[in-house]
Amino acid sequence: MTHAELLRRIAQTLKQGVGPAIEAEYPKTQAFMAAVILQKLGRELELEGAHRAAEATDLDALLDDLRGLLRAGETPGGVTAAVEGVARARDAAALCALIEMLYASRAELGAARFDALLGRVRQTLRASIDRRLDSAG
Amino acid sequence: MTAEGTEALAPRILEYLAGRLPGARELALEDVQRIAVGWSHETWLFDLTWREGGAAHRRGFCLRRDPGNALLRHLSSLADQFRVLQCLEKTPLPAPAPYWFESDPAVLDAPFLVMEKMPGRCPSPWGRDGRAFYAAAAKRGTLPASFTATLATLHTLDWRAAGLDFLGVPAPGTDFARREIAKWRELIAVSERPPEPILTDLIAWLEANAPASDRVTLVHGAYRTGNLLIHDDRISAVLDWELQVLGDPMYDVAYVLSDLNREDTPLLSNLVEREAFYRDYEAATGLTIDEEACRYYDALYTMRSAAFWMSASGLYATGRSDDLRLARTAWSVPVVLERAARELGY
Repeated sequence: MTHAELLRRIAQTLKQGVGPAIEAEYPKTQAFMAAVILQKLGRELELEGAHRAAEATDLDALLDDLRGLLRAGETPGGVTAAVEGVARARDAAALCALIEMLYASRAELGAARFDALLGRVRQTLRASIDRRLDSAG
Repeated sequence: MTAEGTEALAPRILEYLAGRLPGARELALEDVQRIAVGWSHETWLFDLTWREGGAAHRRGFCLRRDPGNALLRHLSSLADQFRVLQCLEKTPLPAPAPYWFESDPAVLDAPFLVMEKMPGRCPSPWGRDGRAFYAAAAKRGTLPASFTATLATLHTLDWRAAGLDFLGVPAPGTDFARREIAKWRELIAVSERPPEPILTDLIAWLEANAPASDRVTLVHGAYRTGNLLIHDDRISAVLDWELQVLGDPMYDVAYVLSDLNREDTPLLSNLVEREAFYRDYEAATGLTIDEEACRYYDALYTMRSAAFWMSASGLYATGRSDDLRLARTAWSVPVVLERAARELGY
């Protein structure tokens, strides 16, 4: 039995065995909520490996594309540094910093380059949120 | 709070009320019930019976207590709620009469307010029974008209004469939108949840596109079915005075128009036909619904929803609450972020 299957079994016990046996409304709701959370955690565990790999692949593609877009014209130093920050940290905080830097540099970048750079970041974020919804479902 | 908690609290409530009604004798509480509304404060309803001057009296009360660790804790003060209700007493807007605010935590372990228990019911629009209730009311037509008329009353009352300027008057221009962004940004910061790039994108977009407005009215902040008491097929009271501000009335209108507040129906807030709402609201207020501003505020509500869920799940994650309903909201965050992504066009 995998960890994900175990969590699903526990959730089923909470939902079908423990919850109905509780009379008081508040702890009954808590038992049901515990079951829902364990189900979701189980789903996340099940998909974690595939999602982590996809995130890494997407991030590599994003960095390649962003560097290509930056080479196409003069770029504010802060934007270049933020892209390299993403390459180093490979995490959400660095992506947030890049997004903030793009907005802060919008006038210098010009509308077309701003849209191209932010649009490419958004493409990656779209794929990522779709994966998270798959887990959360 | 469990049923035992309510039993333990009842004698202390009675002792407090005896102190507030010095001429009353033979006081007794009846029909004490804790109601499951909202996540920010604990609410009890009860009737008080007593004898005074040879006559028997009975009055319904609603008590709201600050649990100290709930959603919106630092944005929603009971003292402010009480003051707002005091101000509204002088206006035509139906709202519960405020009786007492107690800040001393020694009385009931936390600050609380006592207000009028008004007649009526408040079906949740998220359950099957509630949706059926509002669908039937929509067909009759009286309640939808009352919904719109009450919002118009809220937006046309003289907030300055009522003393509501203590809420803070935004400057003309983008000040109102910026104040709201700052408020929800602060809630996100204190939630101690991991950073979310889509939310960063949304906030940056909201800041870059804040609409200018010189319209200033009282804004409820959560005007929808579920926050409105209904009696005799009409709105008998506007409840949940936790998010009110002075600002652009389109902020409330956007909430009414938003798909956040309806399920499986085109009816606004599960109750009102869109065309009728536009017609009646504009006629009653003299305002023209600004659709562009409403679209902006709808995106701002997405930020607010993200802030709510991040704060709620953060309360559980950091050990400040043991309520698993709050832990569950961690999975509501990606749902709201996906909405943000759609609003930003990706």
